[in-house]
Amino acid sequence: MADHSSHDPLAGLRFDRVPPSGTYGADGEPGVTVTIPETPFIALVVARNGFAESVTGRLGRAFGLEVADRTGAAIGAAATVVGTGPGRFLVLSKTEPDLAGTLRALLGSEAAVSEQDDAYVTFDLAGEKTPDLLAKGALIDIDPRVFLPGDAATTVIAHIGVTLWRVDEATWRLLVARSLEASFTRFLIASGAAFGLRLENGTAGRG
Amino acid sequence: MRIPCPYCGERDAHEFSYLGDATLTRPDPAAADAEQAFHDYVYLRDNPAGAHEEWWYHANGCRQWLRVTRDTRTHAISGAAPARKSGEPA
Ligand SMILES: [Zn+2]
Repeated sequence: MADHSSHDPLAGLRFDRVPPSGTYGADGEPGVTVTIPETPFIALVVARNGFAESVTGRLGRAFGLEVADRTGAAIGAAATVVGTGPGRFLVLSKTEPDLAGTLRALLGSEAAVSEQDDAYVTFDLAGEKTPDLLAKGALIDIDPRVFLPGDAATTVIAHIGVTLWRVDEATWRLLVARSLEASFTRFLIASGAAFGLRLENGTAGRG
Repeated sequence: MRIPCPYCGERDAHEFSYLGDATLTRPDPAAADAEQAFHDYVYLRDNPAGAHEEWWYHANGCRQWLRVTRDTRTHAISGAAPARKSGEPA
């Protein structure tokens, strides 16, 4: 892995390419580790008018989760359900290749379902400096005493639209529109370099 | 300025876009005075000093329209409610 420890951690990196895996910024144990996990299957569920409550209940029963119609992430072995708007949910699964089809069969005419597999790139951030990094770009309070595991938000970070949730004590997951992967990765590096940042995205300058 | 979105919670105004007066009603296009009524509806606005009902769209959040009550002198926001009533046609 490349070692990018110069004064400017982005020096020499093309602005329109995803920066390569490596360690950036401060020496020593990295304060933040960024990984791009194997892309989960993603689908968007939008309850039709009057069916929000029913859809919420069906999603919860189908995946064995406590799903509520509010901002929040219900995290389970089979799926994660994230509220992004009234009656609207992002569903992620690592095990359901035809997730949209499964959801259509489950919800019938009560919801509109659209496949989003390629829409987002997933960033997993871990390490005790993660909230400090995110705070440099966030407009919301993501202090770990306030933003608890299972909390979620759809907001902007560094002027880029993000849906994020706290998976557990140490891990935060962020969904970013795929075409903004390079820009968002540059934000992570620029803002995480002070703490030391390890990036593991499996790419070497992919556009 | 922060707007208390009923779904997302309190959010910075930068996440929203502003439409304006939320108390106007679209005129009847079939009415005899429709031309004048539409002129007034599209162009004429009061400029109140004090409480104002206005539309805000939470573009970088839940993507819902809100009816916000804001004091134009202080930017103090006393309430925000979803524009769409649950159960009403979209
Ligand atoms: Zn909102």
